[in-house]
Amino acid sequence: MRVSHVLLALALLAPGVHAATIEMTVNGLVCGFCAQGIEKTLRKNPATADVLVSLENRLVAIATKEGTDIADADLRKALTNAGYDVKAIERTQHSMDELRARFKVSK
Amino acid sequence: MKIDSARLAAALVLCAACTSAIAKPIAFAEGTTVMAEYGAGTMTELQAFYAPTFRYSVGGGHLSLNSAENDDTRDITYLRLNYLPKRWNMESAQANVFVWGGVGRAHVGETDDDQLAWNAGGQLDYETRRVYASLRSDYYDASGFSHRIDTLQLGIAPYEHDYDTLAVWFVIQGRQYSNGLFDGTEWAALIRLFKHNAWVEAGATREGKLQAMLMFNF
Repeated sequence: MRVSHVLLALALLAPGVHAATIEMTVNGLVCGFCAQGIEKTLRKNPATADVLVSLENRLVAIATKEGTDIADADLRKALTNAGYDVKAIERTQHSMDELRARFKVSK
Repeated sequence: MKIDSARLAAALVLCAACTSAIAKPIAFAEGTTVMAEYGAGTMTELQAFYAPTFRYSVGGGHLSLNSAENDDTRDITYLRLNYLPKRWNMESAQANVFVWGGVGRAHVGETDDDQLAWNAGGQLDYETRRVYASLRSDYYDASGFSHRIDTLQLGIAPYEHDYDTLAVWFVIQGRQYSNGLFDGTEWAALIRLFKHNAWVEAGATREGKLQAMLMFNF
């Protein structure tokens, strides 16, 4: 019984401690040369594990490190300071490898 | 084509001296841009800017102007502030208004003296992943001269590049110089390539002279 309680507790905690992916829809993403600032800015955040940019899909995705998150306000501020407009922010369970395969984006 | 080996060598030296060049005077926040342009023998320019935010950048440059009509030369070294007063981020496009101004020293070749020189300019651009247009104007003034350089660029991409792929653009450029630097409009056909933080643009004017630009962001 105690073991099952521990497992249940771990299962409930799991979404909070696993690495998550944040997907942002961004306006103005038309030039790869100019969009470097987005990746540079986001990688400075200590919670960032990986960054993916897809101009085709107007997408900026961030994989966060286990047990961490980046607040929406901080994400919007980072993208705005990079010169772009964030239209939507969504947290998903897609891995970065899945997103790269789906959008045919290399590392 | 009248591009001779000396000009080609000069362009290659220019490339080697400068890791890259940019068409926009502000790259991104906390980004440094280095640019070199060889403009068909009439102008040669080197620039380096640092942008604390995406709204402005500071830096300096050196511009050499050599008249195609006479022996007039100007060598202008300047400090400059670039500012982005307006940006439109659309779903599949971006447009910008840039303005800049600066001050420096100019060496006037025909009188062999140095003068205080100031400069001001602006750029309006619009781009999608398939079309590009920009109109830029630069004004340089000193006690012994004043010149305006207006540059129009229209570009089309054969395919839509992405963040990790090579961007290819075919660009037509028209440039006018005021006050005796070049008579009429200097037209050039260019191919522009960029990937990651490096940008290369090269082509030839209607007179067969080399027109090239390099840019690097880091």
